[in-house]
Amino acid sequence: MPDRPKKNCVEQEVICDLQNICTEFGDNIVHHNLNLKVSRGDIIALVGRSGCGKTTLLRHIIGLTKPISGKVLLFGENMHAMERVAQRRLMQRFGVLFQQGALFSALSVFDNIAFPLRELKQFDESVIHQLVMHKLALVELEPRDAKLLPAEISGGMVKRVGLARALALEPELLVLDEPTAGLDPDRSHNFIDLVTQLKKSLGLTVIFVTHDMDTLVSLAERVAVLEDKHIIADCALHELINSSHPFVINFFQSIRSRLEGL
Amino acid sequence: MAAASFRVTQDDKGRHHVQLFGQWSLRAPFNDFAKLKKSLQPFFADNFTKWDLLEVDQLDAAGAATLLSSWGNKLNDNISIKSEHAELFNTLIGLTKKTDKKARADWLSPLNSLGKGVIQLMHHFAEFSRLLVSLLLEIAYLFRQPQDFPWREFSANVYKSGVNALPVTALLGFMIGIVMGYLMSKQLHTFGADVYIVNILGLSIIRELGPVLMAVLVAGRSGSAMTAQIGVMRVTDEIDALTTMGISRTLRIVLPKVLGLTFVSPLLVLWTSSWALAGGAFASNLELGISFRFFFDYLPLVVQPINLTLSLIKGLMFGFVVALVACHFGLRIKPNTESLSNSTTSSVVTAISGVIVVNAVFAILTRGIGV
Repeated sequence: MPDRPKKNCVEQEVICDLQNICTEFGDNIVHHNLNLKVSRGDIIALVGRSGCGKTTLLRHIIGLTKPISGKVLLFGENMHAMERVAQRRLMQRFGVLFQQGALFSALSVFDNIAFPLRELKQFDESVIHQLVMHKLALVELEPRDAKLLPAEISGGMVKRVGLARALALEPELLVLDEPTAGLDPDRSHNFIDLVTQLKKSLGLTVIFVTHDMDTLVSLAERVAVLEDKHIIADCALHELINSSHPFVINFFQSIRSRLEGL
Repeated sequence: MAAASFRVTQDDKGRHHVQLFGQWSLRAPFNDFAKLKKSLQPFFADNFTKWDLLEVDQLDAAGAATLLSSWGNKLNDNISIKSEHAELFNTLIGLTKKTDKKARADWLSPLNSLGKGVIQLMHHFAEFSRLLVSLLLEIAYLFRQPQDFPWREFSANVYKSGVNALPVTALLGFMIGIVMGYLMSKQLHTFGADVYIVNILGLSIIRELGPVLMAVLVAGRSGSAMTAQIGVMRVTDEIDALTTMGISRTLRIVLPKVLGLTFVSPLLVLWTSSWALAGGAFASNLELGISFRFFFDYLPLVVQPINLTLSLIKGLMFGFVVALVACHFGLRIKPNTESLSNSTTSSVVTAISGVIVVNAVFAILTRGIGV
């Protein structure tokens, strides 16, 4: 196993490092020389107006797409310049929750969560059963839900199962795309609590995209604002007040009242 | 921190002490629990082995469950663990799979599945006839309200399943024509009956091969596309959206597809048959030296024109069957990938089988006509 930094500098270890990212779709320039660093233990929110390339950036981070130029370093390594086994091992170190859950619709909840565990080919079925049940309990689902198909469960449960699947391989980094979109306020509140709690107990680093102000205020420790093809601000939420960028000021109006309530 | 490892010592009584170190966790990238379990197997088998987990840096559910399953899903006095890990072990013990009661052999199960199959078949028939009836009702409605006819969708379907199918039907028709022409001219030539190639090719292609070939191609090409399209519309709730706008799904989705394909199929039959005949004429020209001029002059004399009418009627029926079967299976799709693929397969298979059955019935009914 490669040497990891010692515990005292764990806080500073950069888990995800985006350097000079440029992305274009045809004539539409989405990112231009964008830089972002995420350290271990961060909960960082990516905000910006609709269509400004937040999800695209997430897809770059998890290696689904490749920027036109620039480097994406995940755990200090460039995923696109690795051999296959190492790449797979790297991919097991992060978990992704897609916006729609992206559960395998032909598999039951149990099989969805068991899928990444079975792919490891290290465990027998009784162990997998225990692990899946453990993950289900972690996201506060009932054992009897395990038999259901994704089409038979509600939106909130889909998100929970998606989270359980993302957590199955004990990832260090959790990437969430709109984790609370489509949930009612109560459910989304519970979901945020769940993520915060899991973050604490499992020592996760979380990167997420959101449009929901409540999610932002209650979950994010740091906010990265994507605007004008750049990250124009990358700081704690309450420090955003010092920014003079019109988008941030505009944006800040809407969350000021919420912040005052904190 | 380091990857999971262990050290075995033996005390004076010959008992093993297994001491575990490092990260017993999936986080450590080079852990392989299957291998660890295998190398620890002799100690798991020995009831007197002492287990010492006090030096473990990190233990996650995967590591704990692997150990636990080898210990028979319980902790005992021989196992010493850190207090912070005890909770994890206890949780996992609570989650042990209860072994299912062994299912008794069910002698009636073949009968059961047969019954299920029959019931499912009846459901299919019921739904299919419901679809057919609602389609007829919509057509009746359109006679009263002609301005509601979905012309745009109709023409889109004519274009997609008709015009776009021209190249492939032409190519396949031509090639089959060549093959048949070549084989038959060989046979006929041995009898010196060269000129009968026109009779055989003309009758078989115009009456049978053209329509069936067209139907098979259209079922594979347009039928599957229709099923998948309707299926995805169901999955994404588009059909419900249509209904809430007060638009009948039969009128807007099923009817244009069925009428479009029914309208365009006879034309496709003509097209396919012409290319097949051209292929046949080409082969007989090469093999038997029959000129194209003679072939096509002689054709109407030996093949009665009624055969062409029959073939166009067949085209109408086949188009109708293929499109209706495709819509039927499309509307049954449930929102998952398995159902989508199953229904698309069933749609094509049923459409082709249906076409062949209809063809057989039609052949019996018209056995005295045109031959």
